[in-house]
Amino acid sequence: MNDATRFPSYVAVWAWLVALLVVGLACAFLPFGKAMAIFLVFTVAAAKAFLVARHYMHLRSESLLIYAIAGLPVLLLVGLVIALVPDIVFRR
Amino acid sequence: MTTAAVAAGERIPSGKLAVWWFLASEIMTFGGLLAAFVLCRFAGGGWEDQAAHVNAWIAAVNTLILLTSSLSMVEAHRAVEDGSRGRAATFLLITVLLGLTFLGVKGFEYSRELAHGFTPSTAPFWSFYYGLTGLHALHVLAGVVANAALWIAALRGRGWAQVAPRVEYAGLYWHFVDVVWIFLFPLVYLS
Repeated sequence: MNDATRFPSYVAVWAWLVALLVVGLACAFLPFGKAMAIFLVFTVAAAKAFLVARHYMHLRSESLLIYAIAGLPVLLLVGLVIALVPDIVFRR
Repeated sequence: MTTAAVAAGERIPSGKLAVWWFLASEIMTFGGLLAAFVLCRFAGGGWEDQAAHVNAWIAAVNTLILLTSSLSMVEAHRAVEDGSRGRAATFLLITVLLGLTFLGVKGFEYSRELAHGFTPSTAPFWSFYYGLTGLHALHVLAGVVANAALWIAALRGRGWAQVAPRVEYAGLYWHFVDVVWIFLFPLVYLS
């Protein structure tokens, strides 16, 4: 693996992150509907998290074991939220 | 060990594995709190009125600071891989200073909100606000301490060969703290 593959242009990744920060702010303050604004803002946040995890935490070159360790609690959290939604949100 | 070596199927260093296990527990800690915030917000009314009082622009500046600190941290890791102790020390120092700046801005934000009478007991939103951002700030502080220790080790040079791999581990933690803030920012300040 050459050096460019091992270490991508971190400054370019940072520039994307800053651009996404600006896009996220724009989505929050431009006159979209509330639901659409929230959807866009969290989509942008997910994109930023993906860039940090993939390039800065080097997940793109990690083994399956690391993915399993990081992915299991995320799955548990999704299960927790799905299990609690009916009880908390719809029960008045 | 380099990231390339890991990709080639070599053993994962135990230190790195330990950091990932730790981060897995942190995902549950922050994830549980974030999920509780979202669910309580769906369940109860009046949150938007309270959330309107936080300053998104100050938080945006803090986001920029943290994103930039992630860049300097990963550059410190690259310097370690390149065998450049001096460059690693410089980038670690930049990361420490940016972390302290983040905490300073957060402190300013807290003082502003407390001066306006918004305490943790004002409303459920503020309980979550101080709980979530306070816990995050404590994690930033822990990262600053770890990075400062590595910076001192890099400056001294003695035993650096044994210490250098820890820059990658500290980096993983630091980037995780950044990822948490990436989700906290829209959740607390923009929605």
